[in-house]
Amino acid sequence: MDTFLQVTAYGLLQGGLLALVAVGFSLVWGIMNIVNLSHGAFVILGAYIAWEMQSWIGLDPFLGMFVSAAVLFFVGYFFQRFLINLIVNGPVFITLLLTFGINMILIQGMNLLFTADFRSIQTSYGSNSFEFGNVRIPLVRLLAFLLAIVITFALVAFVKRTRTGISIMATGMDRGAARLMGIQARHVYALTFGISAALAGMAGTMIATIETFDPSKAGKFTLMAFVVAVLGGLGNMYGALVGGLMIGLVESWAGQYLSGTWVNAIAFLVLIIVLIFRPNGLVGKAFYAARVEF
Amino acid sequence: MLEISKLCAGYGRIQVLWDIDLHIGENEIVALVGPNGSGKTTLLRAITGMVHTKSGTVNFLGEDIKGKSIEEIVSRGIAHVPEGRRLFPGLTVRANLELGAWRTKDTNIDHVVELFPRLGERLNQIAGSMSGGEQQMCAIARGLMSKPHLIVIDELSLGLAPVVVDEIIQQLPSIAASGTSILMVDQDVDAALSIASHAYVLEAGQLVLSGKAADLLADPRVQESYLGVG
Ligand SMILES: Nc1ncnc2c1ncn2[C@@H]1O[C@H](COP(=O)(O)OP(=O)(O)OP(=O)(O)O)[C@@H](O)[C@H]1O
Ligand SMILES: [Mg+2]
Repeated sequence: MDTFLQVTAYGLLQGGLLALVAVGFSLVWGIMNIVNLSHGAFVILGAYIAWEMQSWIGLDPFLGMFVSAAVLFFVGYFFQRFLINLIVNGPVFITLLLTFGINMILIQGMNLLFTADFRSIQTSYGSNSFEFGNVRIPLVRLLAFLLAIVITFALVAFVKRTRTGISIMATGMDRGAARLMGIQARHVYALTFGISAALAGMAGTMIATIETFDPSKAGKFTLMAFVVAVLGGLGNMYGALVGGLMIGLVESWAGQYLSGTWVNAIAFLVLIIVLIFRPNGLVGKAFYAARVEF
Repeated sequence: MLEISKLCAGYGRIQVLWDIDLHIGENEIVALVGPNGSGKTTLLRAITGMVHTKSGTVNFLGEDIKGKSIEEIVSRGIAHVPEGRRLFPGLTVRANLELGAWRTKDTNIDHVVELFPRLGERLNQIAGSMSGGEQQMCAIARGLMSKPHLIVIDELSLGLAPVVVDEIIQQLPSIAASGTSILMVDQDVDAALSIASHAYVLEAGQLVLSGKAADLLADPRVQESYLGVG
């Protein structure tokens, strides 16, 4: 029983991070119909930026993640504004190809800049933990989890309540009509992509405080974001949260109770089973994902 | 205020409009009629920069706006109520109206609720769940939120019950009087010509008739082709 609780707690904590990785990916997919294959590379880039900030000026990763977020926001904004926007009206296949290319460039760039060695971000409080009964909760994991949840809710509030956020939703629903309101769709798209990349960068930083990373891990995070986004419901930000927690739990349980080979497939197994019963995901597609185009 | 001359426009290499000349004055209601596929929607789109314009000029308030982006044209004071209304279906009526005021940031809705009181009762309803007539009111109200100099309305009455159409059309003169000129496209030629001061008849991408709406209404060619008379 104690083992089960411990494994469950770890799963939930890990799930919060997966949610943060996926929420931006899901937003970009829902609003722009772009499946961003470079999302995982943004996650890893965020981790490197925070790592470098720590090694240059000793910046704590929980502050460094804001630097990662800022840098990734600009990277994302410019990729969308000057590159992806050029083909965003094209078939999905073309956007897939382009983001795949961006992914390769980012990964090779990181290999050259940072080498392919494993790294992780160490902190003085990295080994602190709490005991709840017989369950041990590492401080860093708890912090990362709580931040992930707070950021996800903040994103939802931003999109649903602010003028800029509503313009993002409107553009997602009907880009042509949004432009007729005078909303600069190109800018809104770039902003959305920038926000998504910034969240990926923050997630990457937090991940780097609890596990090792290197450029080759990018693909894993893209895949995870994909699974979580579809599981929760395309474009649905709460869906990403629910999906992330679920995948976190399932993977954690599988890691404990199943043999090694199964662990890699379990996320997909869950995805397939859920989609059989709920084709629009656990929480349902975001309403703005049913877009109109002209 | 809007002066179109020798305008040619189309989609990619396909030219749809040929040498269009059109004039809209202050506080004026102008109707544009013509058979299906004659290019009415395309002309409205050319005005707001949604289609490629090949040659000619579109002069609005003394400046040529041809070739400018949609956002730029809209922010100079032209609102476009597109074919099919194109509300933001998942957002509330209020959110739709507020988006209409995107460029002016003036989200006071009183003046449009005064025109269409029904909207006032439905501000928190999801726009996509309203009846067609209410959606058209909302679409026009959204266009008027920014207090534009000109509003172009495509297929005003398409698919709506006659009572609702009357309710909407009744308000057009006061909209025009309050400083927003109107260019309307409508299948219901009789209604359009009755409310407009001037009208243009478009056929196969070319203007074949134009003049005072009352004169066109009495014109045998119009009566024969569009009003089922004779
Ligand atoms: N997106 C498009 N791409 C290519 N051709 C188009 C496009 N939209 C319209 N056309 C063509 O342009 C011509 C004019 O169409 P338009 O929609 O302007 O006509 P309309 O007068 O508005 O017709 P309706 O009364 O049916 O709305 C038609 O021949 C049509 O096939
Ligand atoms: Mg039309």
